[in-house]
Amino acid sequence: MGKPLKKIMVYIDGTEQSVTAAQYAICLASFSGAELIAHYVVNTRAVEDLLKARIFLKDERVEYEHDMEANADRYLNYVGELAQKKSVALVKKRSRGNVHKEILDAVREYDVDLLVIGELSRIRSRRDEFYDEAERAMRTVPCSVLIVKDEDRIWELYESLG
Amino acid sequence: MALIDLIVPEVVKTPLVSKDKPDLLRELVQVLKDAGRIDDFDAVLRAVQEREDMQSTGLEEGIAVPHGKTAAVSRLQLALGIAPQGIDFNSLDGKPTQLFFLLVASPEQSGPHVEALAEVAKLARSKAFCRALIGAGNPQEAVDLIRGE
Repeated sequence: MGKPLKKIMVYIDGTEQSVTAAQYAICLASFSGAELIAHYVVNTRAVEDLLKARIFLKDERVEYEHDMEANADRYLNYVGELAQKKSVALVKKRSRGNVHKEILDAVREYDVDLLVIGELSRIRSRRDEFYDEAERAMRTVPCSVLIVKDEDRIWELYESLG
Repeated sequence: MALIDLIVPEVVKTPLVSKDKPDLLRELVQVLKDAGRIDDFDAVLRAVQEREDMQSTGLEEGIAVPHGKTAAVSRLQLALGIAPQGIDFNSLDGKPTQLFFLLVASPEQSGPHVEALAEVAKLARSKAFCRALIGAGNPQEAVDLIRGE
């Protein structure tokens, strides 16, 4: 019988929730022996929307994209350190574009069995404008999805990992 | 954190009392200070003013999105101000501005910052929604409108 999990991908977006998701993904990879990928999407689609809406100036676009790339490095490196502390191999990946589409493409490209994402907003608005990109990815990816909650418990689990 | 998680009554002020742009920016930052969301009032105000000096964030149809980056905040912060009477904010269409979404974040939170700004941009497209928000009688009403309740 094959392994139930061969490839896990955790989506990192610079939020505390995504770091918690990474900790849990590290635990899962350690227990299951699955390969672990951390993927960060630089949301250039949102930046384009802001430019079109004239909320961003052209200089701001460059500045914010630069910040977002730097944050991608920072958070992927941090998640890499978290994995290294627990002797779990982690592959860092990033892409640019529309978040849910990039997640979907990555899941397909890497042949992911399980997508791990951080806790979504607990408030479910009826307004169409508030769709969460990660939630949208959750609905469209072909693999199973795990939404990580309970930051304190996950931290304890991660800390207890040998 | 999505916009919807940030919008709580403590960071909403209606009606705003300022009569001009400089006072308005101070009043919005004060909302964050009074709600305990920021410690360094001057640093946050400076970040927002620097952005305004580049070009007004007053858009069309009575909406403004003043924003700025500063290390003085550790998390993305939002304040919503409503001025039913309208304030001259040097907006793109020259009309008075009635809705103000102030967003500040540290440079390390640029991803969530951009996403929150993008959500405001989407909200701003709905004239009916903006009219309803301007008419909100109190902060809780404004929060309920945004949450779609």
